[in-house]
Amino acid sequence: MSLSKHALTLSVNGSPTEVRAGLHDTLLTVLRDQLQCTAAKRGCNQGVCGACTILVDDRPARACLSLAVNSEGADIRTLEGLNDQPDMRLLQQAFAKAGAFQCGFCTPGMLVSAQALLRGKPAPDAQDVRKALSGNLCRCTGYTRIVSAVLDAAAMIRKEPVAP
Amino acid sequence: MISAQNPPASPDTGAERMPPGAVGASVPQLDGDEKLTGQAQFIADLYRPGMLHGAILQSPHAHARIRGYNLRAALALPGVRGIVTGDDLDARHRMGAFIKDEPALAKGKVRYSGEIVAAVAADSESIARQAARLIEVDYDVLPAALDPAKALEPGAPLVHDDAASYVSVFDSGTQGNVCSRTSLVEGDAASAWAQCDVIVQDTYQTQAQAHLSIEPCGALAEIDASGRVTLWSANQSVFRVQANVCESLGLSMTRLRCLTPRIGAGFGNKMEAHVQPAVVLLALKTRKPVKLILSREEDFETVRARHPVTIRMKTGARRDGTLVARETELLLDGGAYGDDSPGVLGYALLMNCGPYNIPHVSAHGRVAYTHKMRFGAFRGFGVPQVTFASEQQIDAIARQLDIDPMAMRRLNIKRDGDRWFGGQGIFSNGLADCLDVVERESGWKAARAARLQPAGDPAPEFRRGMGLAVSAHISGLLATGAIVRMLEDGTVLLSTGAVDIGQGSNTALTQICAQALQVPVDRVAIASPDTDGSPYNWGTTASRITYMTGRSVVAAAAEVEKQLRKHAGAMLECAEDDLELRAGGNIGIKGVPGGGVSFAQISGYAHWAAGGPIIGSNSWVFDQKTVDPKRAVALGLPFGKIGIFSFSAQVIEVEVDTLTGKVRVPRAWTACDIGRAINPTLAIGQVEGALVQGMGFALTEEMVWDGARLANPSLMDYKIPTFAEMPDEQHTFLVESDEPTGPFGAKSVGEIGINTVAAAIGNGIVDAIGTRLHKLPFTSERVLAAMMPQEQA
Amino acid sequence: MLQGFYRPRTVAEAATLLAGDPDAKPIAGGATLVAMLNARVIEPAALVSLAAIDEIKGISVMADGRLRIGAFTRHSETAECTLPMGASAVVRHAASEIANATVRNMGTIGGSIAFADPALDYPPALVAAGAEIEIASTQGTRHVAAAEFFLDWYVTALEPGELVTAVLLPAPPDASGRGVYIKHARVAGDYATASVAACLHADGTLRVAVGACGPVPITDDTANALLSGDRSDATIRRAGELLVQHADPLDDVRGSADFRRQLIPRLLLRAVRSVEVPAGGRS
Repeated sequence: MSLSKHALTLSVNGSPTEVRAGLHDTLLTVLRDQLQCTAAKRGCNQGVCGACTILVDDRPARACLSLAVNSEGADIRTLEGLNDQPDMRLLQQAFAKAGAFQCGFCTPGMLVSAQALLRGKPAPDAQDVRKALSGNLCRCTGYTRIVSAVLDAAAMIRKEPVAP
Repeated sequence: MISAQNPPASPDTGAERMPPGAVGASVPQLDGDEKLTGQAQFIADLYRPGMLHGAILQSPHAHARIRGYNLRAALALPGVRGIVTGDDLDARHRMGAFIKDEPALAKGKVRYSGEIVAAVAADSESIARQAARLIEVDYDVLPAALDPAKALEPGAPLVHDDAASYVSVFDSGTQGNVCSRTSLVEGDAASAWAQCDVIVQDTYQTQAQAHLSIEPCGALAEIDASGRVTLWSANQSVFRVQANVCESLGLSMTRLRCLTPRIGAGFGNKMEAHVQPAVVLLALKTRKPVKLILSREEDFETVRARHPVTIRMKTGARRDGTLVARETELLLDGGAYGDDSPGVLGYALLMNCGPYNIPHVSAHGRVAYTHKMRFGAFRGFGVPQVTFASEQQIDAIARQLDIDPMAMRRLNIKRDGDRWFGGQGIFSNGLADCLDVVERESGWKAARAARLQPAGDPAPEFRRGMGLAVSAHISGLLATGAIVRMLEDGTVLLSTGAVDIGQGSNTALTQICAQALQVPVDRVAIASPDTDGSPYNWGTTASRITYMTGRSVVAAAAEVEKQLRKHAGAMLECAEDDLELRAGGNIGIKGVPGGGVSFAQISGYAHWAAGGPIIGSNSWVFDQKTVDPKRAVALGLPFGKIGIFSFSAQVIEVEVDTLTGKVRVPRAWTACDIGRAINPTLAIGQVEGALVQGMGFALTEEMVWDGARLANPSLMDYKIPTFAEMPDEQHTFLVESDEPTGPFGAKSVGEIGINTVAAAIGNGIVDAIGTRLHKLPFTSERVLAAMMPQEQA
Repeated sequence: MLQGFYRPRTVAEAATLLAGDPDAKPIAGGATLVAMLNARVIEPAALVSLAAIDEIKGISVMADGRLRIGAFTRHSETAECTLPMGASAVVRHAASEIANATVRNMGTIGGSIAFADPALDYPPALVAAGAEIEIASTQGTRHVAAAEFFLDWYVTALEPGELVTAVLLPAPPDASGRGVYIKHARVAGDYATASVAACLHADGTLRVAVGACGPVPITDDTANALLSGDRSDATIRRAGELLVQHADPLDDVRGSADFRRQLIPRLLLRAVRSVEVPAGGRS
């Protein structure tokens, strides 16, 4: 198996970024090890836990299941690049108030998924939230507070204009 | 009482006086910003200059002698910087929380499939993993003892050649494949059966459950120029890391400094050693920093899990429902190394009755060594398993006697003045209130009446039922300390050595310190645990930090207050008795509004004029004896002093799909007496999280062995509850009975929420379909099988 | 371009590349392939990415009224398709049950069925719907009925060098056909322990297929004929027994073989009752 690496240009959080990747390197590895974008976490490397969830072309995707070499041309956004967006900030505030995180390891992936849900469906109900987030596992909270935080954030966001 | 639906924003009594964010306030976690923005640094996020990456090699065999290693091909791979094996260890050095039976990595023998046999450090993780695969180990495969009962039969293959020769910290009775044996007896159960009008007797079986913290285990070790090691790791105790690494490598503790990054939860998995000894060994060998993070599969296979337990239980009662006698026999599968097993056994026996007055109790148990991964601490520490049996038996007796299960609990629960099994005092007890709350909120009476007079469709496709269970959990054991320092500007630095694993102890302890000194929370900083600078703290486990370390914090703060008063007296030229501590960081003269001196002024005085820096410290070991020898006879109890009980009552509504056997939980009501909620949102968060983790234990989680190998070490095959499985409604209530010995009245909350879940669901299933299951988890397959005889009838 | 990585723009180009290198693996969404790669179950020396081939993307109605789902159509797109599908709505329902929302954004129907894991959700739905699989190679295009596409555990009718380019669903005769996919799993997002796909056509004919109970989806003409007549509990039970006879399930962590056999008639009952109800079925 060849471990040789090649230069790639990836669009990460709006910036064209030079990285080196081998055929089998995932976006998760490249983001974390080369770009110090460590918000996306490695919880299983099988796409099940959701801790590596990022946005690719505006849709939530698993960084651990995305090959870096297959991601040239895609618009890649991690939590680091979403932190200053007004709807993300309201989500984070709602999470803080509700106690919707404990250890915080699943939280970046959870926030990325939640933001995407609210952008597609600004007025979800609890079932919508549960279905949209069912691919993000949390072992600490028991989920209840996350659902109420997302619903609260949705209400706050609807009251305020959101930058596209 | 506090309910999750409207937790108080500010503390109740004396609210006007208290600065915001003190005890009783739901202060958001202090490290919230970094977690919410993804900046929190967990072990896998840390980098050190010149760092190498590590990978482990696991044993493919459950039991084998290691004849030798061939490292040539692995060492020849470009980028490989060092390899460690059992040959780098001294056979005399072993670690173990109770029995010193475990080497840093396999030496001479492998004792379970998955055990760490070697570790590699290389320029990248993929090179390290590739190199590990190139290591050749010459094994002499031996027969394995995989079943705990068979392991205890004469002639079974021995996991440890001479277990009796190991150093043990208590009278463990270690020999052959018996890791430990314990018994606790009160009264005379053998002759008490004659007094019983109803007796139930059953065998229950619980399964191995994986902790599944979303963060896998990992460590990073670095050597300085003098050869001293600095070690970061995913951990629940920097002091247990230090002890384990030093004991297993033969290092003096002064040679190792243990630090903690942010921790992605533990639930017990990270309480004792995982890869830390191997990583330190690699750092020592290569003289470079080495980081090693386990894959999810390695974490499943290598570290630890909840003990599978076989529970033989017999309970007897009088016709009116009064409990008379209990006999319990436990067999724990301990796996290859002792780890916390003796503690789990002892604690399970201590808690086996539940919070009831049962005059005659005979509780015995053994932990068997087997050739499987070690089983160890996991939230509940034996109590979920033993409660699964006990609360189902209480329920079964209630049904046989046609007594409301609620009434049966009320008849038997411990009340004021009662002592725990073994004789320890109970100083606060809100269990009766907990029962009242869940009875009322769940609509228990109406639901019960409806079931006794069934109407409508006699064979609905989905059948609902309600199950009740109660439990208790301790709050205190072993040692802790706290140091409170006033900085030059009058702000406060708190150092406790307690690791926050996500449950919020940093926040709660800061609140306690702030309240004790009557300053706002943002004037107190809490230091990160560091074996160099922090006072000893046994660990974040056993739900002990709020009670144990909280008490230490209060005492250390009191020392600080004493010094503040002394200096203030000198500065204000008055007697200390005339002074009062005022909210906001000020000491003034009683009856004289205004004036006074601020903490900043006093601290300046102390630093520059007289007395020296203001430092308050406290150090203590839990001091309540667990067993009163006049009441109970204990043999091989691994702890002499643990206690201070929190209580809980839980009603779970289950819905059984009669077509497929699938069980879901539409609604749950839980009331916990935690003495005092230091931070209601964080406390409720513990109970809610424990419920869902308990649902996994009850319904879907099971580690399955295929011979010697773990068959499902991946998230594809081992399933924990998702958002879809959470209850539609989860109602949590905190009862505050105000524990007189607790910091501001607080007791524990971290584990109690999981103890009752499997039993409550089991009781709910009986209520729904009339059949009781004795084996966990309640998969749809097992529930369907239980329903089949009825269907055919 | 990194050695061993290809990103063709047309099916013809992709077919040529695959024909030229027997070790090269096509990668569509990557949801399955990269997971296997991470677990070192496979270590392909070359990958042919299908991500830039527009002609295999999207869902459209063909001239003859059949629905064409391009191989590189994400599960989420199939799950949210608003075109009238009649009984073929079973495929949309199955797509919505795959894994979770994020994985549905990544995985594709072509990648999924080419892998042919029997516990997948598409295979029984495609068989029940009577779908056709369109396959391309350097030799041209051919079509295989879904029931003949899935041959064994992880084995399909694909020859070396061939790739799936589309799934074709029969033209709905009219919109009153309905399809339902009933999946039994341990938790949401899990692979099916057992599943039943049911297609009810406007003329009253019902076709069912059972998933995750053997190497390939199970279907039985006699069972279908029975279910197309009176659908009493007794008839459904008989149909179920016929299907169980063909079952060859595994014992695994999701359930034992016996449990799967028990589930088949029960899930069949639920699927049939569900598809009969105008609100219960999907169209």
